[in-house]
Amino acid sequence: MRCSFCALEFTEEDGHKTCGKCALVGGCRMVKCPRCGYEMPQTPSLVKWLQQRVLRKAGAGAAR
Amino acid sequence: MTPAAPGSLSRYDPAIEEAAAGIAGALRGAYRFSRRAVALLLLQRDDEIERLVRATEGERYPEIARLVEASREHAGDGIDSAITLQRRQRAQELIEGVVYHPNRIEIPLSERLSRLCTSPITGLPVLALVLWFGLYQFVGVFGGGTLVGLLEDGLFGGVINPWVTRLVEGILPWKWLSDLFVGEYGIWTLGVTYAVALIFPIVGTFFLAFSILEDSGYFPRLALLIDRLFKAIGLNGKAVIPIVLGFGCDTMATIVTRILETRRERIIATFLLSLAIPCSAQIGVMTALLAGRPAAFGLWVGIMAGIFLLIGWLTARLLPGESARFAMELPPLRFPSLGNIATKTFARMQWYFLEVFPLFVVASVFIWIGQLTGVFHVLIRGLVPVVHLLGLPDRAAEAFLFGFFRRDYGAAGLFTLDEKHLLTGNQMLVAVVTLTIFLPCIAQFLMMKKERGLKMALAMAGFIFPFAIVVGAALNALLNAAGIRL
Repeated sequence: MRCSFCALEFTEEDGHKTCGKCALVGGCRMVKCPRCGYEMPQTPSLVKWLQQRVLRKAGAGAAR
Repeated sequence: MTPAAPGSLSRYDPAIEEAAAGIAGALRGAYRFSRRAVALLLLQRDDEIERLVRATEGERYPEIARLVEASREHAGDGIDSAITLQRRQRAQELIEGVVYHPNRIEIPLSERLSRLCTSPITGLPVLALVLWFGLYQFVGVFGGGTLVGLLEDGLFGGVINPWVTRLVEGILPWKWLSDLFVGEYGIWTLGVTYAVALIFPIVGTFFLAFSILEDSGYFPRLALLIDRLFKAIGLNGKAVIPIVLGFGCDTMATIVTRILETRRERIIATFLLSLAIPCSAQIGVMTALLAGRPAAFGLWVGIMAGIFLLIGWLTARLLPGESARFAMELPPLRFPSLGNIATKTFARMQWYFLEVFPLFVVASVFIWIGQLTGVFHVLIRGLVPVVHLLGLPDRAAEAFLFGFFRRDYGAAGLFTLDEKHLLTGNQMLVAVVTLTIFLPCIAQFLMMKKERGLKMALAMAGFIFPFAIVVGAALNALLNAAGIRL
């Protein structure tokens, strides 16, 4: 994902690592940019599922 | 990274050079680049270098970490920005001798728009336009007016609530029990209706507008625009991050103040967040309340901006220290992507709804218990003199009581009063301003306690509550004295 403030590209895992000792860690559904600290919502499970379906269909279409 | 040559390409201020030399002298391990470069990165708290040094130096790492912290304190606030700025300056000097600029440079549209957003002359009008169209028209008039009207009056008020009320009263013939679900403050008639019919469309439009601005790259330009203004109140442009996030949720933004470099900045930012930054639902509902009253909306924005700057300035005078310098690379301004906007809006609405829905239900239960025991009426009676001070009718006390629990719940209470035409335009402005400044919600207070300590949190809350009442009362008196009718 890309930070909406400083445009750094990073993975959700890197974003969660930056949460450190925050009291809400794991419970806030937000991801923190490792560079500037800006918080963004993590991609919802439904959206991830839809994205994977679209990618699978696109992959299957290309294979044909 | 190339090793530093003797008589290095970059020389920093003596304080930074001294700190780097001390740290480099303490390093014993072998690194791919110079120990001076490692020391400078440690001073800038680079995570990757810290992990590398920890792995390389082993048992010696705690001593090196202490030396780094001591060096940072000795070198002063804003050492990160100082190193970045000086490095950039040196790079500029190096390229000036070898880069050729043609006489005529074609400036792309995105760059021209970017300059409009960051220039002090055009940036503020651009911000005003963003607030007018993005907040007032879209969130206030469309979200709070059109959508809430359709959902609250049309769907819930006209169809769902009467049906649910009949159903519950048919199943539970005892009024004291059916009131829990469908009474004036019932779980369904108040809690669910507020959450779904009122907060949901308003917050939805707010987050949609927020996501568009966010994805376009406008916020870093806002940071640059108000950097100079923020310096006057002891902050810098980096504080735009927690402030902007505060418009989403002040509780989260209080945690994000950790990114600010000095303790002084963190205190000032936390205080201003709890005092003058309304959260998403609050700002959305307030805007909806003032929709159709553009003069009141303008006054509200102006008063809150004035309070933010004045209290920020006074706080900065009281707390000794300098603002840290702020430097960042501006990402390009871009056309927002529909996919990103949809994803972020959906994610924020999901997060907010899952948080607020149970709380609104719990609030209804507490009010029901309060009514049965009589505590609710005692608390209301206690607040009535306070609302009279503000020139507001007795029923406004309910909204302020709700506001102790959550500010968005309090703002929703004002909505109900407005629908019953119980408030004049002047009273609405006074109520909105007072409730915006009002106490932080319980969650935010707990976060303030965690981040700043109990004494600091209590001191802030202890100032904010009477200040909100004083400002509301003064505003009411001023409007009456000036003969203004909004």
